[in-house]
Amino acid sequence: MSVLTERRPLGDSAKAWALNAPAITVIALLVAYPIGYSFYVSLQRNNLKRPRAKRFIGFDNYKSLLSDDAFLSALKVSAVFVLVVLGLTVILALILALVLNERFRGRGLLLSLALLPWAMPGVVNGLMWRTIFDAKTGALNGLMMQLGLIDTYQAWLTSATGAFLFTALAQVWNTLPFSVIILLAGLSTIPSELYDAATVDRAGAFRRFTQVTVPWLLHPLLIVLILETMNAFRAFDTIYVLTGGGPGDATTTIALLDVQTVLTFTDFGLGSAYAWVITAITLIISVGYIGLLYRKGNFEV
Amino acid sequence: MSTLVQVPLRYRIPWKKIALYVLAIAFGLYLVLPFYWIVAMSFMHEADAIAVPPNWVPVNPTLENYLGFVNPNAAQELVGGRAVSETPYSLRNSLIVASATAVLNLALATFAAYSFSRLKFRGSQVLLVLYLLTRMVPGIAIIIPFYLLMRQFGLLDTYLALILSYTTFALPITIWILKDFFRSVPRELEEAARVDRCGWFRTMWSVFLPVAAPGLVAAAVFAFMTAWNEFMFALFLTSTKAAKTIPVVAANFATDFNTQFTVMAAAGVLAVVPPLVLALLFQRKLVQGMAAGSVKG
Repeated sequence: MSVLTERRPLGDSAKAWALNAPAITVIALLVAYPIGYSFYVSLQRNNLKRPRAKRFIGFDNYKSLLSDDAFLSALKVSAVFVLVVLGLTVILALILALVLNERFRGRGLLLSLALLPWAMPGVVNGLMWRTIFDAKTGALNGLMMQLGLIDTYQAWLTSATGAFLFTALAQVWNTLPFSVIILLAGLSTIPSELYDAATVDRAGAFRRFTQVTVPWLLHPLLIVLILETMNAFRAFDTIYVLTGGGPGDATTTIALLDVQTVLTFTDFGLGSAYAWVITAITLIISVGYIGLLYRKGNFEV
Repeated sequence: MSTLVQVPLRYRIPWKKIALYVLAIAFGLYLVLPFYWIVAMSFMHEADAIAVPPNWVPVNPTLENYLGFVNPNAAQELVGGRAVSETPYSLRNSLIVASATAVLNLALATFAAYSFSRLKFRGSQVLLVLYLLTRMVPGIAIIIPFYLLMRQFGLLDTYLALILSYTTFALPITIWILKDFFRSVPRELEEAARVDRCGWFRTMWSVFLPVAAPGLVAAAVFAFMTAWNEFMFALFLTSTKAAKTIPVVAANFATDFNTQFTVMAAAGVLAVVPPLVLALLFQRKLVQGMAAGSVKG
């Protein structure tokens, strides 16, 4: 009896949950609740401009997606955008990380420069590349002309393919540093003995790369792949400013389409259905990411 | 003379070194030139900036693009709607919103992160995964209900709406970064304080937090940058100079047909300077945090 009534300090568990309570409350109110609410809205006909027509329509918004050309096109644009951005980012990031992993004069400067695109807001990234890609006065035109690569100024952003590729390039510049940092962190954990052993075995530079570096980098590389997939899939700021989704719908990604649907057409029901498709796809990717971290044992507390 | 004797008979061209420097220079140019271009343009007169062939350096450097934000001339006033005159307000708004987000985040995240770094408790792993999952939720998924809620509470076009939404973005990251930093603080310090009969809050405030200060600063910088750079929520939630943040105003320059590249470039530069300065000042800690938590998803 006396043991129970004795005043004891709180157990670790109770204390821990008490410490987490404020954060959990905020997240429950501002993330969990809105997500649930968004699903509810996605089951409605809900256009802010036609409040009288608002009513529950079940899964009609979702059903309409299957024959929604704008949606299907945006999904395709997003998928190709992810592939192009991901491919370029991983290749460039890997090379830059390998360079930064060496010792040379100016390494510190290059590392600082690599943080520049990371610090840049997506909107500024977009307007910066707009001035560079501009058809009449752009720096890219000027540079290529002076190098003798083109005879006349080109309108890079007017063809569908051109706009798509140059938007992808602008996006790559912005997201590159993040991948570089993760890969560089991975590279710096490779024990130098492994390279020494490989050298003793008379392995050339290429074999050292494929047999020591690549296997060791597999994990950080997977993290980069997953996080950059997610980034590219949600890409919005740069595209909004650079092309606004055009020409036509050549650069209208799913995120852009969703914002247009809600902001311009105030169709909150359909917009919510789009958002839920995006969430579902993102969720699948995140489960992969978390599974990966889990296997590495990042979650021990 | 003696060094000459030691030169090997067969001189090898240091291909590896050459390749390394070529790549380093190429990447350096790739990273810096685009930014250099808008910085250079922001100090040019419009006529020089749109000249063909381009002026790679400002020939008649001018501050008129920056001064225009304070005191716009007739031509500048028309650029990007009211974007020129809104720029100073938006910088102030961004500063307030980003600072408040950083502070609110630290207050909420410190407690949570401490629990993961010091206490063994049931459900800790699940909770950590849950925080991470929150981070993975795309902004677009919550923006519609968020907008409707803020509208209902009359919070559209206010700082509070932005601060609340940015806190949800930054909180999971902040917790993850802090938990890693906190783990590196030696436990002996707190035990010593406990022997001195300091209470838990006292121990936290005067022993633990000062030692963990570098981590706290890094986490605050992350939160500040997240809030400063965010665009989509600001686009939905703000509409006037009372709350518009700098990305929203900068986007107005870009989407306007009558834009002046020089003024747009100057606004862009102003928007980059705060996060860039922070990134360079706290480079080491930020890189450490980014790598440790793989956090900026």
